[in-house]
Amino acid sequence: MPKDHDKDVYPEPPSRTPVEDRQSSLPNPALILSKLFYYSVDLPVTTFRVCLACLSSGKKSHYYHQKFRRVPELTQCQEGDYVCYYEAEMQWRRDYKVDQEIVKVIQERLRACQQREGPSYSQNCYKELQQFEQVSKAFQSRYGDLGAYASARKCLMKQKERMMAEQQQA
Amino acid sequence: MVGMSFLRTAAAFTARLNPLKRPCQASNLLSRTVARSEQVVVRHGSHGKRMFIIKPTDFYDRRFLHLLKYYIILTGIPMAALVTFVNVFIGESELAEIPEGYEPEHWEYYKHPITRWIARTFYDSPVKDYEKMMALIQIEAEKAEMRQLQLEVRRHMREKGDGPWFQIQTLDKNLIDHSPKSSPDN
Repeated sequence: MPKDHDKDVYPEPPSRTPVEDRQSSLPNPALILSKLFYYSVDLPVTTFRVCLACLSSGKKSHYYHQKFRRVPELTQCQEGDYVCYYEAEMQWRRDYKVDQEIVKVIQERLRACQQREGPSYSQNCYKELQQFEQVSKAFQSRYGDLGAYASARKCLMKQKERMMAEQQQA
Repeated sequence: MVGMSFLRTAAAFTARLNPLKRPCQASNLLSRTVARSEQVVVRHGSHGKRMFIIKPTDFYDRRFLHLLKYYIILTGIPMAALVTFVNVFIGESELAEIPEGYEPEHWEYYKHPITRWIARTFYDSPVKDYEKMMALIQIEAEKAEMRQLQLEVRRHMREKGDGPWFQIQTLDKNLIDHSPKSSPDN
């Protein structure tokens, strides 16, 4: 069965047992619908997955998360050392992918927070909003308009332009 | 007699035209045509009279669809069965920490068993691909450096003229016949 989301990262607000204050004698439609959904969809699917888990052979293979060594960056390469350039470029591409995933995670957190809080999200999710703003600004300033053919050299040149602009401002 | 037959035909005609006795059609009323009497409706034990329905041929369309379904299902069903069995009986791998001092094989970085099999059987390890690329780059870099050096050396030798290249062979001094030049004003 796929694992549920991390409860520490996407916390649910503390549940409050409501005091039953029924003023109508009609049956509760939400209860009926939830029971219907449970018996028609949830229970069959769960039993199916549990049966599959029983059927599958006991020994489970493992897969690992690959860890890459850090290599010298583009600024630390000798001029004309094309092998060094290649390794720096590959490392930069891996870092670019990692940064994209980081931005996605922060976005997901903000989205989850907004879904939880509803109309009052701008007040209750202040931390997530600030985090998202900071992260997206940083991403934009570093990788912003590099385009589809982004490379470590272009990113370095963009950094140089940024530093020159900052120096001129100061 | 003629009048009788005429009356009989007139009676039959009016009976046919009688709106109560025949199915009333608007075209009939407008054009005053007589409704042609069809077969009397009888309840058969079968699906009724067999009709030869005239319509454009659907032979080619049905043949195409049949062949399409056949060729798709021919490999579709074995593939679906294979994937189902792999997912049910072998199942996906679980994420684990890399144990101390253990170097996982390159296929052990994938989750699904079929992906792992493909990576194990057909693909080279990404490390090997990386090294192959670096070897190619090294070879090309060396070639470029050799070419640059050759151009430099060529320039020097052309300039100074004391190298093995760019030497123009001149005639051997001993072959020159000095006898016509030894006695002037001949």
